[in-house]
Amino acid sequence: MLLNVNPTRMELLRIKKRLKIAQRGHKLLKDKQDELLRQLLSMIEEVKNLRTEIENKFQSILEGFMLAKAKMGPFQTEQELVSPVKEINVSITEKNIVSVKVPVFEKEVSGEMIPYGFLNTSGETDVSLIKFEKFLESLFSLAEKEKAVHLLANQIEETRRRVNALEYKLMPDLDETINFITMKLEETERSSIVRLMKVKDIVRKH
Amino acid sequence: MKAKIAAFGEKDIMLIFKAIGIEVFPASKNLRLEEQLEKLIKEGYAVIFITENVALKASALIKKYMNKTLPSIVVIPGLGKKENFAVDLLRQAVVRAMGVDLFAENG
Repeated sequence: MLLNVNPTRMELLRIKKRLKIAQRGHKLLKDKQDELLRQLLSMIEEVKNLRTEIENKFQSILEGFMLAKAKMGPFQTEQELVSPVKEINVSITEKNIVSVKVPVFEKEVSGEMIPYGFLNTSGETDVSLIKFEKFLESLFSLAEKEKAVHLLANQIEETRRRVNALEYKLMPDLDETINFITMKLEETERSSIVRLMKVKDIVRKH
Repeated sequence: MKAKIAAFGEKDIMLIFKAIGIEVFPASKNLRLEEQLEKLIKEGYAVIFITENVALKASALIKKYMNKTLPSIVVIPGLGKKENFAVDLLRQAVVRAMGVDLFAENG
């Protein structure tokens, strides 16, 4: 679509400048998109495996825990677990992947996993809790990586839209307008020459 | 920055999170789940573990916060049947980003 401008030399220069900037921006954004895609691709496989692993493991842990709970009675279990000794401190830092800010969790664990005495509790509870403790590490790394994948995917989509807008809308529009103005200028030039020749002819006849 | 961690879901599953010192919020049936989850987010929990059954009911809210840096909402499988909610979310994100379903291809 033609831009709404006056066909003047000034305007032509201005639009040529705009086109140049658009081209540069397009190249940069394209590079950014490529890099983002590369990052995402390297991450996807990992996240997928981690996710499947966690789903399977967690379910088996949970089942173990439920059985243990059933053995001990729900009320008893709740009472034993009501004051946890273990403490998890997580600090967040931000990592910058191609100007996408991705959270990184660092956790500090202190205290024992099992908050109760051995007298009234069953061995199964211990086992499932200890399993769960080991499992935590991957749970946090999943939290981190899954977030990263979502953020990257979102950013890629956004960048792609921008690249496309430049490539298929702005740049062709500018091209067309430049063409239009050049033609128009040439046309006015020709018409003024013709006019001059005509005038000269008339002058000569007298 | 210090982060707060929360776990949100059915009461039975919450017990195991309680044992490791994570703040737990059993899903109560009286309030709407989305409201409860939104409250947790507003309170500034950086990591929220949420069980799949609950996540399914609050999926609109989870999608809304998916593209924010924080919080990181992690869907964990609950008891019973798996619905693959988290995997579907990932798949959708990847499809939107690349236009190709990379998840299905390999798995």
